[in-house]
Amino acid sequence: MTTPSTPAAVTPPPGPGPAGSAAAGPRASWAGNPWVSFLARRLVRLVASVVVLVTLAFLMIHLIPGDPVRASLGITAPPDLVEARRESLGLNDPLHVQYLDYVRGLFAGDLGTSMTSNVPVADTIGQRLPATASLAVAAFVLVMLVAIPLGLGMAVLTRGGRRRGAELGFTSSSAVVAAIPEFLLAVGLVFVFGVTLGWFPVAGRTDATSYVLPVLALSLGPALLMARIVRVEALAVLGEDFVRTARAKRLPPWRVYLRHMFPNALTSTLTIGGLLLSGMIVGTVLVENVFAWPGMGMTIVSSILSKDYPLVQGIVLVYGVAVLLVNLVVDLLLALADPRSTIREG
Amino acid sequence: MRELGFHGVTVRFGTGRSALTAVDGVDLTVPAGSVVGLVGESGSGKSTLAKAAVGLVPTSGGEIRLDGAALRTRRDRRRLQMVFQDPYASLDPRMSIGASIAEAIPGRVGRADRAAEVSRLLELVDLDPARARSLPSGLSGGQRQRVALARALAARPDVVLADEITSALDVSVQGSVLNLVRDLRRQLGLTMLFISHNLAVVRYVSDVIAVMYLGRIVEAGPAEQVLTEPRHPYTRTLLDAAPRFDAGLDDPVPADSPLLDDEPPSPHDPPPGCRFHRRCPIGPLTTPERTICVEQDPQAGAADRPHRAACHFASEPIQSEVPAP
Amino acid sequence: MRREHWRAALRNPVGATAAVLLFALAVLAVVAPMLWGDAAEETDPAALSQGSTGEHLLGTDALGRDILLRVLVATRYSLGLALLATAISVLVGVLLGVLPAVLGRRSGRMVVAAVNLAVAFPALLLALFFAVVFGVGARGAVLAIGAAGAPSFARLVQTTVSSVAGRDFVAAARVAGVGRFRLVTRHLLPNAGEPLVVNATVMAGSALLAFAGLSFLGLGVQPPAYDWGRLLGEGLDRIYLNPAAALAPGIAVVAAGLAFTLLGESIAQVVGLRAARLGQAPADGSPATEPAPEAPAAPAAAAGRQPDSDAVLAVEGLRVGFPGAGPDGWTYPVDGVDLSVRRGETVGIVGESGSGKSLTALSVARLAPEHAVVTADRLDVAGIPLGGVGGSTDDAELRRKLGTRLAMVFQDPMTSFNPSMRVGWQLAEVTRVHEGQGRRAALARAVDRLRTVRVPAAQRRAHQYPHEFSGGMRQRAMIAMGLMSEPELIIADEPTTALDVTVQRQVLRLLKDVQRETGAAVVLISHDIAVVAQLCQRIVVMYAGRVVEELPAGRLDQAAHPYTRALLGSVPDLTTDRDEPLTTIPGRPPDPSDRPAGCSFAPRCSFADDACRADPRLAVVAPGQRAACWHPRLGPGPEATSGELSTLPGGVKRA
Repeated sequence: MTTPSTPAAVTPPPGPGPAGSAAAGPRASWAGNPWVSFLARRLVRLVASVVVLVTLAFLMIHLIPGDPVRASLGITAPPDLVEARRESLGLNDPLHVQYLDYVRGLFAGDLGTSMTSNVPVADTIGQRLPATASLAVAAFVLVMLVAIPLGLGMAVLTRGGRRRGAELGFTSSSAVVAAIPEFLLAVGLVFVFGVTLGWFPVAGRTDATSYVLPVLALSLGPALLMARIVRVEALAVLGEDFVRTARAKRLPPWRVYLRHMFPNALTSTLTIGGLLLSGMIVGTVLVENVFAWPGMGMTIVSSILSKDYPLVQGIVLVYGVAVLLVNLVVDLLLALADPRSTIREG
Repeated sequence: MRELGFHGVTVRFGTGRSALTAVDGVDLTVPAGSVVGLVGESGSGKSTLAKAAVGLVPTSGGEIRLDGAALRTRRDRRRLQMVFQDPYASLDPRMSIGASIAEAIPGRVGRADRAAEVSRLLELVDLDPARARSLPSGLSGGQRQRVALARALAARPDVVLADEITSALDVSVQGSVLNLVRDLRRQLGLTMLFISHNLAVVRYVSDVIAVMYLGRIVEAGPAEQVLTEPRHPYTRTLLDAAPRFDAGLDDPVPADSPLLDDEPPSPHDPPPGCRFHRRCPIGPLTTPERTICVEQDPQAGAADRPHRAACHFASEPIQSEVPAP
Repeated sequence: MRREHWRAALRNPVGATAAVLLFALAVLAVVAPMLWGDAAEETDPAALSQGSTGEHLLGTDALGRDILLRVLVATRYSLGLALLATAISVLVGVLLGVLPAVLGRRSGRMVVAAVNLAVAFPALLLALFFAVVFGVGARGAVLAIGAAGAPSFARLVQTTVSSVAGRDFVAAARVAGVGRFRLVTRHLLPNAGEPLVVNATVMAGSALLAFAGLSFLGLGVQPPAYDWGRLLGEGLDRIYLNPAAALAPGIAVVAAGLAFTLLGESIAQVVGLRAARLGQAPADGSPATEPAPEAPAAPAAAAGRQPDSDAVLAVEGLRVGFPGAGPDGWTYPVDGVDLSVRRGETVGIVGESGSGKSLTALSVARLAPEHAVVTADRLDVAGIPLGGVGGSTDDAELRRKLGTRLAMVFQDPMTSFNPSMRVGWQLAEVTRVHEGQGRRAALARAVDRLRTVRVPAAQRRAHQYPHEFSGGMRQRAMIAMGLMSEPELIIADEPTTALDVTVQRQVLRLLKDVQRETGAAVVLISHDIAVVAQLCQRIVVMYAGRVVEELPAGRLDQAAHPYTRALLGSVPDLTTDRDEPLTTIPGRPPDPSDRPAGCSFAPRCSFADDACRADPRLAVVAPGQRAACWHPRLGPGPEATSGELSTLPGGVKRA
């Protein structure tokens, strides 16, 4: 142990001290902080992904064979109308000018104007987004609430090859249900609870009961899929050496499961949870169309069919950004949850 | 068989915070017809050195030469063949052992000649040539390691690099593989770099022993001399730590000093001066006046010391009693 | 993919059902349009939008066409389009996936990054994007679903190929001069093939579902053509009038999708099982023998030894069985072990892998794998009789006793700590649970124990995570964890195998110090007889699930069992004569499910004769030394089993 000579010389100045001599201190520790560099790198990746996404959304309209305006207005439209519409959409400008205009518009919150209704795309999305978001979030919460306890519980019950019957029942039934796509599940739910039993409304977004069937349709498959994955992960953790150590310490079983198994099964649960949430955000498209849910999914399908490309572009962008944000959040949570995560490796 | 030379070979991995110099300016010669044993602990860079020689990892500096000529092309590199540690991983599970060996035979060879060569090689490693068609899954670990040796020999190499070839084997099998290495060496006059963490194993097969620590060769010399009169304290420490029947744990050795009880240094951040100084039983921790070990890298001038030892005090005998804590 | 895998997959009931379903669908796809193609187009103005009737079993659509026939006929189109889309995904995916392995480093990395970005987006979003670009309709949908599936398949190919590429046999092939192209075709793809085929099968299922989804939305097949998705969409509009119109195509889609998915999964399961089975020692090469005799009778007064009264460990007739390939449906990796350890004694258990030494230790500590069946005539651990406790480890009192009196040290310190919990807390947990200590007091004791095992800066390090410790330091912390209470027995299972030799010495010395200071008995399990000889007073040699010899460390040069002698002669040490070959033991240890009758070592032993067909019991050959051999070697003999001469380490010193 070295004896501290002059404390001021040894210890770095605490916090952002007065300007001047102390300025180097905080900045040095700031740059060396793994969290800062991790966040910086992760944000750079997000920006890069968004740039790619925006570029693809922009290019979408140009990748369509033929003239999108002509396709949208129909072959009977008078040529001068087509030309006027092309001009108003800026389609006659050089590609890079269009791109710059598009990006500039995005920064101003301008996603273009619908070709069929002339309403700004941003307004339409703003109107439809809450319905979709509330559906996805409700379904995600339900998935987490069901899947994690179910998966952990099944892992504990079927550990080490116990209760083969329960294991087989769980794995096969969950495999079957998880393999049914959400829109077919939705049809089944409509038939059982809407048509036959008449318990819940089957179309539209009205009161709380109208959420029941869409949320169920959206979450049932992912919940069982997630429960399966949680179970497999938890079983893998139970096979780890450190669980044997915990057992060697003769800890009570609940402590082994909650303190030693659960936190270590969390990492992959989070990763999969993120993937599922992304999938569910987009899965709303199908479910909304079954239940006539007034969200973005209804809108994107109808606008694809009516060839309202600016609106399609805008909604694809929103879905894409939502997915990227989910990925970002998952990465941050992973970094927080795992002490060994990459941020410390630098 | 020709002479293999490493000249200032450096291997770096990664960038930034995770950068690591696994091999740091290694000079080592494997004379024609001799076995050089390379010993060191995990993370010392000994396997990386072998992989660099056969081109599995890129070097960031220095040259690897065969009879003085630098190896550059892939064809050059084929003059060196490597045998890997884990015989369960080093044979393609979907290829018969005959096919694995045949694949390494250089040039265009007819089917019949190829089969004859495979049989000859299998016999050379004491395996029944009739097993050429069997898959690796039917073989024991020791048998697989023989196949791996046969495959290396099939390429008619000038030098064989054996990387921990017995450490994945059971003790009762390890002996037969070591016997085979000795026999092959006598029969074929193999030039070989034999890598192991086990000093006793290295001693059994080698003419020359080189000791590696944190990416550097710290001592190299004729096997008996290095083992009986080590010049580098790290070699001394390794010798003292090797479990043996004629010395108990209670007989203290210099490295047992509690002053040296610390984490081994990280290869990401090697200590300044002598890389061994924080664990050295004759270094600054036990002999405070030896500040030179912290300040000066003993690598410079190693060539002039006995056993090319990278130690400022290589010419002094290593004291054997434990300094008081 | 080998034929036997497919066959095994089909034997599995799930796989068989899926295969039968797929076969039926294939037949339907071929014959349905031929048989009913025209009838399904026939409009019946008299029966528009009807429910189920005798004439139209599932009712009719808005134009009066028969729903059942339309669903059957749509099989061809639905399957065909899905398979086409899958083919596109697989083709593009394999190309993109192999590209990084063939391209140079930088361009390879670009491909990987692009694929990773694409994979982040759900397939449906990609499909919608491509559906816009390729246009609404069947062709556009095939291209869209194909393109949307490509990134995930590409990623799969990349990960499988790169995991194969990281294996030693690929490195060996590269060193042997195998070219890049041949490397891909002969080594990489064949070994990556299995998971790829499995996933392509599963993918066909999801393509089918995705296609139904697009058609359902009206973005796929356009009228007058129809597939299941289209029929479903049309049926949903009239679900109140005729539910069957929506349910029938829905069921068809689900059944077909499930058939693909389940077939893929059951193949995956078979492949996985096979890999697990390969991990075990293959059971060939060992000589054919009669089935093992009945469970060995309890060696009641085993070799006339009375159970020690001050024993901290007394084991008699320990057997550990697993369901397996043995004659009675069980294999016994541990097959009748007697072991006793006195207070404060250090005992070493030596054996090769598969000898049952670690399983013996784990079973004694009641830590054997869940599906193992442990039986013993007597099993007293630290004064606690465990023989009759059965499976109730949940007894809090028993847990407390075991938790405070018995300490374990495991082989791999890297994996034996909970990675997400600070080291200090993991230590403190012991006394918090068993002695009801408060957080502060327990942590203070943890720091103190870390100091005892000479972990530098113990206070600071207690707050670190395990990954911040080196291997040697972690093993010290593991020993410190055992010292949180006052253990009477420390069982150390290969505690130094994963460590460097210099660190090994430190850990062994630490164990010795701990034994001396606390008076705890130590059982050290190791494959390295020299390590055991250094630390232990008494050595127990195990072979094929039994104890074959038990002797004081000082008498190793007088070992009586040929196996012990061979083991000593086969390991070179720093005094081995370099001009003599090492002792070798021919053959390999017997498979636990197929042990020879009598002495298990007899097939490999040069002294074996007819007498060895009978089971040898441990018998006293010298004071304190017992061997299970009909022909024990006496005196400091140099002879070894292979008949070759070998020198034994002379002057073995008592540890």
